[in-house]
Amino acid sequence: MSVVIRRAVLGLFFVCSCLLPLAAAPARAATAPQEVVTGWYKLILELVRHTSNYSPPVAARSFAYIGVTSYEAVASGSDNLQSLAGQLNRLKTLPAREKGATYDDAVILNTVMEFAVTHFFDRTGPTGQHVMKKMAKLMDEEVTQSVAPDVVARSHAYGQILSQAVFDWSKTDGGATVENMGFPLDYKVSGKPGHWVPTSLIRQQQAPLLPEWGKVLPLAMPKGSTCRLPSPPAFSEKPDSAFYKEANEVYTAVNGLSDEQRTIARFWSDDPMLSPTPPGHWINIALLVLEQQKADLPTTVDTLARLGVALSDAFIGCWDSKFEYDLIRPVTYIKKMIDPKWETLLITPPFPEYPSGHSTQSGAAAAAMTHIFGDKLGFDDSTHQADGIKPRHFANFHAAAEEAAVSRLYGGIHFRSAIERGLTQGECIANYVNALKTKK
Amino acid sequence: MLKAILSGGLGAALLLSPSVVLSDDAPAPRPVTPIFQEEQAAESGVDTVYDGDWEFMVGGGVSTFDCDDDGFPDMLLPGGSGKSVFYHNESKKGGPIVFKATTSGLEVDNLLGSYAIDIDGDGIKDIILLRRGENIVMRGKGKCQFERANETWNFDGGKAWSAAMAATWERGNTWPTIAVGNYIDREADMEPWGSCTDNWLHRPKAATPQRKFANPLPLTPSYCALSMLFTDWNRSGTPSLRVSNDREYYKGGREHMWHVDPGKAPVLYSEEEGWKYLRIWGMGIASYDLDFDGYPEYFLTSMADNKLQALVTLPKDGKGPATYKDIAFAKGVTAHRPYTGGDWHPSTAWHTDFQDVNNDGLVDLFIAKGNVAEMPDFAKLDPNDLLVQNAKGNFIEMGLEAGIASMNVSRGAALVDFNLDGLVDLVVTNRWKPAQVWRNVTPDAGHFIEIGLKGEGGNRDGIGSWIEVKHDGHVLRREITIGGGHAGGSLGWHHFGLGKDTDVEFRVIWPDGTADEWQKVAADAFYWVSPKKLAVRVQ
Repeated sequence: MSVVIRRAVLGLFFVCSCLLPLAAAPARAATAPQEVVTGWYKLILELVRHTSNYSPPVAARSFAYIGVTSYEAVASGSDNLQSLAGQLNRLKTLPAREKGATYDDAVILNTVMEFAVTHFFDRTGPTGQHVMKKMAKLMDEEVTQSVAPDVVARSHAYGQILSQAVFDWSKTDGGATVENMGFPLDYKVSGKPGHWVPTSLIRQQQAPLLPEWGKVLPLAMPKGSTCRLPSPPAFSEKPDSAFYKEANEVYTAVNGLSDEQRTIARFWSDDPMLSPTPPGHWINIALLVLEQQKADLPTTVDTLARLGVALSDAFIGCWDSKFEYDLIRPVTYIKKMIDPKWETLLITPPFPEYPSGHSTQSGAAAAAMTHIFGDKLGFDDSTHQADGIKPRHFANFHAAAEEAAVSRLYGGIHFRSAIERGLTQGECIANYVNALKTKK
Repeated sequence: MLKAILSGGLGAALLLSPSVVLSDDAPAPRPVTPIFQEEQAAESGVDTVYDGDWEFMVGGGVSTFDCDDDGFPDMLLPGGSGKSVFYHNESKKGGPIVFKATTSGLEVDNLLGSYAIDIDGDGIKDIILLRRGENIVMRGKGKCQFERANETWNFDGGKAWSAAMAATWERGNTWPTIAVGNYIDREADMEPWGSCTDNWLHRPKAATPQRKFANPLPLTPSYCALSMLFTDWNRSGTPSLRVSNDREYYKGGREHMWHVDPGKAPVLYSEEEGWKYLRIWGMGIASYDLDFDGYPEYFLTSMADNKLQALVTLPKDGKGPATYKDIAFAKGVTAHRPYTGGDWHPSTAWHTDFQDVNNDGLVDLFIAKGNVAEMPDFAKLDPNDLLVQNAKGNFIEMGLEAGIASMNVSRGAALVDFNLDGLVDLVVTNRWKPAQVWRNVTPDAGHFIEIGLKGEGGNRDGIGSWIEVKHDGHVLRREITIGGGHAGGSLGWHHFGLGKDTDVEFRVIWPDGTADEWQKVAADAFYWVSPKKLAVRVQ
């Protein structure tokens, strides 16, 4: 391996130039199994950003299945970890390792990560394909260099059948195929008062994103509607109505934003194809915390599996409610009722308003992370540092989730009810994830 | 300058714009359908393939220029990983389009695109070669022969991955200022995202006379430029540098516009100046004053929806907010998806240009389309667009009827009158397949005029001038630029369709702001125009 190439591989392991801060990276052996996982995750976050059909729900789904894959790769050889087979919906069994045979965790993990990444990101562009192939080749050289050939072969074979089994299971949830970046070619806008209408001048976005996503089968939550929210405030155009008051709150807030509020809105904007998306933001928080905590392998895979499942189920539950209520966006209402020249700070996402997706998934993520690390773990979130956005410190995961949620009000894209109830919905969904048993 | 704009036709435009002629609810008549006939390689002589792997996913730009003073535009096509090919135009007036591959000195590998420019003001076109690796400036020696001039002119070709270029003559200079747009760091193929390398600004070296470039100035920050254009967007008399950037690879990036004021360091337009945050897969720029208000609109190619930008507020005295609104949806030019061929995935757009292909007096819009390479979420069968403008200023897709709906993976293009019959022809480059040439044979096309500029001083082609042509109660107005499109451009005759007009009034506003008198000439002819002189009919 040339010096240049080796440096490039190690860059994805250690330099953390994708999303993690350089200074925080400790020097470790290149083949430590958890670093195989986190190294691939850093590439995944780039692929999420650069794969055109990776809207937030789609990204969250991939995080779930990739997380489960890496978890099972480790759990299958651990005396302390319990398989998620039999706990996650529709996942009855998974292939086991051969008893008494020797395996190498790093080789298995590299095999499953390569399989999962190349299968879940099979639609990425030529640059992503180029990097995936190069990463796989160089990582394989890295993890196998001091392992006996028969162990490499056995570990590789097991990794293949395990990841194939998880991938086959993933295809049964109804969310595997996403076309036209998630925008249906035919969609009839309801036209009823108070219902969603397109807010974008982009032709593709005259239909909402993924209107059927609420029907995708969740992994831990029983079904998409399990944590369905109550109705939003009744739609009304009367100035003394609760609905008008919520809209006026958004209008007033955006017009009077402080620098700090503007910073918060942009910090959590997490636009698809321009960032790792909201679920990717939380995955990066997890990577930062794992790095900060010098987490061992079981904690690493447990965290990424639980968080992935929580995020994925959160988007399914959120989308179930979004299309149940099909609520109008603030920009539509405010332009009609309050100020026709009003503009949002953030780009209004092309789908119904209630509840706020970022709030639901942040609520779920914070609950899942708190379950693992407790509610007193502070961290610096440097997710967008490479985009020139300064890190922010949070006292705990719930503080981050609450800020993420209210950022949507500052951005002018959500009403308060969607924000507060979104957080509540996320906690409801996370309860099912936190009920999963990962330790024997 | 502003006085020239207002006295020239803004008033007339306000009084007699098409919207006044047609009531709001009256449907606009369907424009004349342009008809193009593809010239097969055996006849046209053009068979260059834009080849190569990942390193050539962008580029493929075409440059056209007349290098032997016969009036017929010659052409350089890039070969990507293969050698580029210079084509001498051997067409006869009004006849089939015929090229002959000829050794010129421009045959290089790793070429992504090129632009013609007369750098040394000798009246002979020079060429800038944009490459994956060192860019090369080629001095024209005449008779379509070229020689390397990087060392002679102190042009640092760098070693980046370049696919964009724009040129201007800053006020008082006899030597051009050239901006080169650079793409991904080609060494960073494990982490290409966020690796955009700096664009460079090559200004003249301070000396009298100016004969060399100073060392290049990095335009920091840079965000993977794929198209650049010096344009006097506010008619202040000082062009600014628009840069369209590919969001696929930048981090923290956006569309850019730079103040490039003589004698000063370039400065980015800010949000305080009205420049809005826009992030697209910027790949190409075309500009034209579509609404006859004196200020150009800008079409930006991207993936899925494309953008057509119009000023929100017209500047006064060359000053005003640099704020644009997107009118692509309203005008029918989002061109976000194939219009034929059955592939419904979003499109990928590259080179673009406004030209009047049916000579009805309204410019039309061409867009070269083609998948980046094996991107399944974008159309594989992605026909090139020909959006023909109607009398209400809206655009109608006519690529299929016109015969240019190629399903090849297209990149660069040029819309140029190759056979000097007054109709704009077309050449398109394709990844992994030979370039295609179409001859415009539109039977019901209107009249035309084609104007060549002979400027003074070093700026022999009058770059930065505006040509104004009176037609149908308004003023057609084209800014003369080097840059834009995708990785290539044309330098030569400037074409205007005239509809039923058999004679026409036109004038030139030269780069120093001096406006010539209006002069009336016969249509269906080619004219050379020099400052303060009567036009000379040449064809």
